[in-house]
Order: sequence, then structure tokens, then C-alpha cells
Amino acid sequence: MFAAPRILYFTAEDHYLYHSAGRALELEAKFSGDEAGISAFRDYLRGQRGALFAVVADLAGEDFHEEQIPSLRGADREAILSRRLAQRYRDTRLAAALSLGTVETAERRNERVLLTSFTNTQQLTPWLDALQESGARLSGVYSIPLLAPALAKKLAARETRLLLVTANHAGLRQCYVENGKLRFARLERTGDMVPQALAVFVRSETQRLVQYLVTLRALPREGSAVQVVVVAPPGQKAAFEQALTSDARLQFRVMDYADALSHAKLKRVPEGAAAEALFLHLAARRAPSEQFASREDRRRYRIWQLQRGILATGIGVFAVCAAFGGYRWFQVLSVRGDAADQTAQASAAAAQYSRITAAFPVTDTTTENLKATVVEFRRIAERTANPEQAFRHVSRVLERNPQFELDALRWSIAKPAELRASPNAAKPPPAVPAEGVADALVVVELSGRVNATQRNDYRGITAQVQGFASALIGDRYELVRTQLPFDVTSEGVLSGDIGTSAETGEAPRFTITLSRRLP
Amino acid sequence: MKFTREELRRLALPLVIALVLSAAGGSIIWSADQALASAQRVLVAAQAERRQDNERLARIAEEEREVRATIDVYQQLKRLNILGEERRLEWADAITRIRTQRELLDLRYVVERERLLTSMPGKPANVDFYASTMKVGLQLLHEEDLLRFLDDLRESGNAFYAVKKCDITRVGQGIGGATMAPRLRADCDIDLITIIDRAAKK
Repeated sequence: MFAAPRILYFTAEDHYLYHSAGRALELEAKFSGDEAGISAFRDYLRGQRGALFAVVADLAGEDFHEEQIPSLRGADREAILSRRLAQRYRDTRLAAALSLGTVETAERRNERVLLTSFTNTQQLTPWLDALQESGARLSGVYSIPLLAPALAKKLAARETRLLLVTANHAGLRQCYVENGKLRFARLERTGDMVPQALAVFVRSETQRLVQYLVTLRALPREGSAVQVVVVAPPGQKAAFEQALTSDARLQFRVMDYADALSHAKLKRVPEGAAAEALFLHLAARRAPSEQFASREDRRRYRIWQLQRGILATGIGVFAVCAAFGGYRWFQVLSVRGDAADQTAQASAAAAQYSRITAAFPVTDTTTENLKATVVEFRRIAERTANPEQAFRHVSRVLERNPQFELDALRWSIAKPAELRASPNAAKPPPAVPAEGVADALVVVELSGRVNATQRNDYRGITAQVQGFASALIGDRYELVRTQLPFDVTSEGVLSGDIGTSAETGEAPRFTITLSRRLP
Repeated sequence: MKFTREELRRLALPLVIALVLSAAGGSIIWSADQALASAQRVLVAAQAERRQDNERLARIAEEEREVRATIDVYQQLKRLNILGEERRLEWADAITRIRTQRELLDLRYVVERERLLTSMPGKPANVDFYASTMKVGLQLLHEEDLLRFLDDLRESGNAFYAVKKCDITRVGQGIGGATMAPRLRADCDIDLITIIDRAAKK
């Protein structure tokens, strides 16, 4: 899945194929720049279908041109950049536009872009075609200058204006980086120079470049010294430091090759490799997004990236779900543990309850039913009464009032509402206690006659019946109503037949109703 | 970016693998959620059971007092056969026996259909109270005969006798000739109450 990339280091003469493995760079093959080299490269690629390749060009003819375009995004920006590249370069297969940031003008907001390409792309084309035909995946075509800002960052050179100078296999490479963005670069052949001569050459070429950049107005004519970071070849740091003395215009910082490798986290390089190894390692491990290859040349690589992206997304989703699921399962275990604790506590309480209840009196039912049975039975019993008590009460009163003779006695259990609804009710029934316990009454209705009293003696009869009724009150009995043999109320009709011989001798009848609250 | 058929074929396998991985991940979460919901239900039930058992344990002293206070009544209800199914034959036997023993002149009765009086919630089953109303008609020489009849009925057991109504009316002039003529007539409604405790041991 994570294929180790191969880097084709492309110079004007020879081309070197490196294999990046972790923090090591290994030389796999070397190809000449002629037709034989291309054939050899094709032969090599036969067994490399699907392999990952990047091309890093280190050529002298590389053009850099700054322009401004309207600040746009997406397809519009792409279209403008394509047009500008097409206007400047005859062959746009290997051309790139690097953003240098935005600039505000009076009219509008513009974007500064650096258009760059090779003056002779034909030398690269057959090699790219060979890669395309072999089925290899081309991650990108870079130049050493395109990788310079990343290397400067790795070398901890963060100055606003910076010249990065390296002695590569192809020659002396000078890259001007401004605010972390590439502005210009040039390559000068060096040939075989002794260290002192190379150091002097570096100084003179750097001064020339600075002068040129001032001419281009890429550097201010006056201003602070430009930082120049020089990566000295192995063992030449002392000679470089001696030759590269700083002045008002240039501030040299010489870095040993081994230190530069350490900064770039590159542990092993092939024998004979120069400073280009630093750039190649970056191209393999931390390649910038800006590069020269067209979309079509990189299509296989894009598909491969898409495959990896889809798989990575799936793995990521699975990992997130697994982590969340694991967290949920942790919760499940915790809740189950809590439930087990609760169940154990409940069991302990139930066992303790059973132990205690075992000492209870033996019952043939459950405690709940025992209680329900007895409570309800007591409630029913409280609403029940025996007629005997009423009979004895009435008998006692009758013994004291022998002139009264009963014809009927009606004893019943009634609710206060039933008594209130009675049509003969002469007065309201006794009030129900606030506690509401007495929801039943014993009602006793006495019907009888008054002897030894003249029927027309209304006053006498009334007095006797009322006296009898009063005598019946007591022992928790209350008088509900009294019905006389005649109506002495203003609503009724009162009649009399005084002095006639039509005396029937029938004793006057009365009715008395009593009630008694049940507890 | 438009894909060719070959490119789509190359993307298919990673896509399937990603979908399978996503589905597997989703199923892990789903199953965990299900298990969590189930565990939480179990926890809620266990908490309720523990709370109930603890409350019952806390009330045990009161419960013991209640048991001791009610057990005698319950046993008496059982002894009197008030607890249990209706015993209509025993009721008929008892009335016949009382009439004979008390030399009652005339006694007629009708026991109506049993009806549910009330149902008390119990555990594990309810306690049901049933009543059957008995309408009794008696010819009496004296009102004491009625009271004795009711006392005898009560003592015969097999139900709790709740007198709901008794009408006593004068029907004659009493003992005057060679035969004993009734002086009074009593008509009573009496509820014969029985209790079915569905949790009681048979």
C-alpha cells in the first residue's frame, strides 16, 4: 500500500535512478542522456509496472517569470493560469504556476504568480513517455528549485529573503526564496574544482545573482544583508567559511553536508551523491504540491491515490467505529456490573426478608393477602349491625310508655344518601362525620298507636308522641322524623269532629324514624 | 475528473473493502448500542427490585406487627369457613336445624345468586369478597325468636352474616286458642359473605 518511491534525478548529461527506503537513499541505476539511456530505462521499466516514480530535474534552462492575475478560485483561476502558461511557453506539458500571494491594487485584488518551465522540455519528454508507456505511476515532475523552499525550511533557514546554495551533481545551484516561496534559481556548471576555488566561485556567483535580482527588482537596492545558506560539500566547510565572509550585502551561513543530511533526516546516501540527495529525499518523502507534470501524466498516480484514500477512509471509519463501539462496550460492561450489584443487593435483601419472616407466625397465605383480607373484612364488619341492640333499646322505652303499642318495626342498614332521598323525610338526616367512617346508618322505623288518648285530642296526642320520640333519642340514636295521625303544619290540612257520636274508638297512629351511625 | 471503465474497475475493490469496513464498524456500534440498551433495561429492573426489596425489609417490623395483629382474625375466618367457597348445603342444613331446635312455626328462605362484593389487590393474587343475599320470612310468637334465629345463624358459621334489613309486623293477637298462632311476622335480607383468598394454601 505504501510503495517506496523511485526518484529519477535528471541532469543535462546523465540521469540517476534512486530508491527511497525510509531514511536512506539508494542508487538503483544510472542512465546516459542519449537514446541508449532511454532504451535502458525502458528495459528497466518493464519489470516496474505499477511502481511509483518521481522525476527531479536539475537543468540549467529553467525559466521563472512573475505575473499578476485577478484573484480567482477554482476553474476560473485554472483557466487563466493555463492561458498565461500557454502564452509564455510553447510546450506546456511541463509548466507550472506557483502562487506568491495576493497583492491589493487600487482597482482590484490580484494574485502574484510565478510561471516556470524548462526552456527545453524535449529532453524530458522521451523519459516521461517511457514512464507512461510502462504503466508506472508518476507522482510528479519536480525541479531542484521547486524543492528549495522545503529544504530551506528543513535547514532551519527562515529568513524573509534567503539564498540557498548547494553544490549538486549538475553544478552549483542557487535558489532565491522569499517569504518561503521560490522566486528565482540558476544553475552554473562547476566541473572539477578544488574546494578553495569552489568556495570563491560560490562567492562570486552569489554576488552576481544578487546583482541580477536587484536588477530584476526582486531584491531591494538598499536594505539589510541577504542571508545565504551554503551547504558545503563533505569536508569543505572550513575552506568555504574562509572564503565566504559576510559583508553588508551578504550574510553567509555555511552548513556542513553531514549536518544538512541530519536536518533533512536522511541517514544514508549513495557514495558519490552530492547535495542533490537532500532534494531527492524531500521529493520522495515530503514532496510539495507544486510540480510540472500534467494531469494526464499523473493520472495513474491520482487513481492510485484515490484507491489509497478510499481504503484509508474505510479503515478510518472502521477505526472510529471500533473505538466508539469499544467505548460503548465498556459502558455495557459497567452497566452490567451495576445491574449485577443491584441484583446482588436485592437478593441479599430478599434473603434477609425471608430469614426474618420465617420467624413470623405461620400463615396460610402471603402477608399482603393476609392484611388485605382482614382489613377489608373489618371494614365490612364495621358497616354491619345486629338488630338486637335496636330491639332492646325500643323495648326499654316502650316499657316506660305502656300507652304506646307498636304495629311494625322496620330495621335496616342504609346509607345517608338513601335516607335523605326518602320521600317522607321530614328533617335532614344526621350529618356524616368529617372522618367519613360512618358511611352507613342503622335506620329504625316504628309504626304504632297511642292508647288511652282521645283521637280528637290533638294537643295531647302530639305531646305524647313527641315525648315518646324524645324518649327514643339516646344510646346514639337520633330522631329522623315523626309522623303524627294528623298534620299540624301550615302546609297540611287539619280537620276535627268534636262532640259527634261517630267515635270509632280506634287509637291514633304514628310513625317515628330513628337512625344510628355505624362506627 | 472522468474515470474510464478500467479506472472504475480499479476503484471498485477498494470501494467494496471500504464499504465492508464501514458496515463492520457500523455493526460494532449498533450491536454495542443494543447491548447497552438491554443492559440499561436490566439495570433499571434490578434497581426497582432492589428498591422494593429494601423498602419491604425496612417495613418488616411493621409487617410483623400487622401479621401478629391480623393472623388471629384470619385464622378465625378460616375456622368459620368464611374463607373459602360458598357452602350452600351447609347453609340449608343450618337453617333446618335452627328451625327444628327453636321450634319456629314457619320459615321460608331464598338464597340469591352469588355476586362479587369487592376485590382487594393482593400479592400474588387478589382477595375477592362475595355475597349471596338470603331473603328469610319467619312467623314468630315473640320477637326474641328472630334474635335467637339470627344468633344461631351467626354461630353456624360457613359465612359472615350481615343483616341488611328486618321488618317485623304484627299479624295476630297471640296465644288464644288450642293452637299457637303467630303474633309477628319477620322478613329479613341477610348477606352471606364469603372470602376467596387466591393465594391461600389449599
